Amino acid sequence: MKAVTGNGNGVALALHDVEKTYVMGTEKVHALRGVSLQVRKNEYVAIMGPSGSGKSTLMNVIGCLDVPTKGNYTLEGQAVADMTQSELAEIRNLRIGFVFQTFNLIPRADVFHNVELPLIYGGVRSRERRERAESAIARVGLSDRMKHKPNELSGGQRQRVAIARAIVLNPSIILADEPTGNLDSRTGDEIMAIFDELHAAGHTIIVVTHEDYIADYASRSIRLKDGLVESDEAKGRKAMAGGLMS
Amino acid sequence: MRGLRLALDLQESVRIAFGALRANKARGALTTLGIIIGIVAVITTMTAANGLRNTFRESFSSVGADVLYISRMPWVIQDDFFLYRNRPPIDYKEARELEKHLRGSAVANPTMNGRQDTKYRSERMDGVTIIGTTEKQLLVSNAQPAVGRFILPFEVNYKHKVCVIGNDVRKGLFGEVDPLNKEMKIGRTTFRVIGVMEEQGGGSFFGGPNFDRQIYIPITAFVGAFGGLHGRQDVNIAVKAPSEAAMGDLEYKLIGEMRKLRGLRPTEKEDFSINRLDTLVGAFNNVMGVVLLVGLLITSISLFVGGVGVMNIMFVSITERTREIGIRKAIGAKPHSIMLQFLFEAAVICLLGGVIGIVISAGVTVAINASLMPANLSLSILFIALVVAVSVGLLAGLVPAWRGARLNPIEALRYE
Repeated sequence: MKAVTGNGNGVALALHDVEKTYVMGTEKVHALRGVSLQVRKNEYVAIMGPSGSGKSTLMNVIGCLDVPTKGNYTLEGQAVADMTQSELAEIRNLRIGFVFQTFNLIPRADVFHNVELPLIYGGVRSRERRERAESAIARVGLSDRMKHKPNELSGGQRQRVAIARAIVLNPSIILADEPTGNLDSRTGDEIMAIFDELHAAGHTIIVVTHEDYIADYASRSIRLKDGLVESDEAKGRKAMAGGLMS
Repeated sequence: MRGLRLALDLQESVRIAFGALRANKARGALTTLGIIIGIVAVITTMTAANGLRNTFRESFSSVGADVLYISRMPWVIQDDFFLYRNRPPIDYKEARELEKHLRGSAVANPTMNGRQDTKYRSERMDGVTIIGTTEKQLLVSNAQPAVGRFILPFEVNYKHKVCVIGNDVRKGLFGEVDPLNKEMKIGRTTFRVIGVMEEQGGGSFFGGPNFDRQIYIPITAFVGAFGGLHGRQDVNIAVKAPSEAAMGDLEYKLIGEMRKLRGLRPTEKEDFSINRLDTLVGAFNNVMGVVLLVGLLITSISLFVGGVGVMNIMFVSITERTREIGIRKAIGAKPHSIMLQFLFEAAVICLLGGVIGIVISAGVTVAINASLMPANLSLSILFIALVVAVSVGLLAGLVPAWRGARLNPIEALRYE
């Protein structure tokens, strides 16, 4: 098991006075009104807030799916603001692993191919691709489901596939948007246990959620309200990162 | 590294394209049908044109490409016919004179021709082309006798009434009978058959000459039997160039000699024409080119309609897979990878249509060949058809693929 970052120190990402404005028809929607925050490497952060608070927009900006209208965003020392779509795609490919509420797997592709996909877009050769995809699938415990299509899997299994896909290129940041939102609480706990393991292995983890018990897994929780940071506090962990993998 | 990425992108595109086709069989088949129809229409037009061209070439294969023909009229009249109608015919004496002047530098063979009814016992064949010629016929044309022999010099000199018949004439008059040394009637004169020419094939090309429906006789006998020394003679002189490269020089020489023979002053225009196979081929190709162009223009409309169908389906395909595009973008697909993916899909649909179209066209070509007219499917036509099919796919896929590539990943991910 490779650890991603050496010592867990240093800044993974930094937002400085980030604003994001959407134009919806004739109306301007200020989704973010000046958010500044820093996430250190190997931190476990929960972003919380009611719907409409701007947490999805913040996640999109952090995930380089979108660029801020105003303000600076640096990811591992690189300014993102002026990047082209291609450059953003490359950053998403190599540095960020996404886990979505609705899993977002490709329905026609089997488990192996879904996990292999980021490697294909990353230009990894076939043999290495197979090794890395298989090891990522093994890490989430689905080695026996390699050839199954997403619709042959349970919700929890699908989310495991999504996690395997997110970690297959060993990105420093794993970005999860309501990862347990479509799962029952027992399965949700299993998924969160995997995040704990990934955190222990050195990944920076950012979870967007509106559920307090999920936020309790994180060591820091940031609350948003109306596009601004309302509170930002470190706290005790509900479950310490004990589930180290062998 | 770039090459590897492109290869991987392509590999993924192949997988997606065939996956999509497999998932939407009926839709794919209907879309492909449009392309198939277009390709079949285009190929059939080309095979027909190709067949005509081949038949044309075949039917004139016995006419040497390195032979110049001096005649009263040009073979192809592109301007006003009345400019030529008052020209004096070339008579036999002039032809003999020219032959003398050319001796040593080029072979010249004078011929005269006409149509006569022929008869052997009770079998008749009307309107057969009778060619008065000399032994040099064999030097200027590619046709050789298959049975018996050709006319000999002394038979020309002494006006022997012998003839060498074409293969169709043999079939028509003699059937199973061996024609050698049989006496037959040409017009009212009796000739003895001394040979049969080998079959030229090609048949009559749309009113052109049928080289198998001819009879060769000595030119002197022709003059005696049909021409009348002081009647209207119209001699053609075939002159064979030593090589094809020397044809230009030979043409100048012939013009010079003919002008001298006819005593033309420098200001006077020529009152004869130097013809060559090229002019005929050129004229034919011009006509053929226009026909082909018009045909392709019309048939490519159906191909265009097929292309529009593909474009339509690609738009549908992209809308359907908006979410998938979002996912792919989120995990690192660059815009050009998405673009390539959809372009490839469109190209595959069209290539499939192209291949099926070719198979159907092969059948259609055989059917046309058997019933309507000559048609010929060549390798280059196949190649062109495939290139055209793929190009149609790429063109039809361009705008949809571009739209897919430019999708905003967030909106695409949110799409239901």
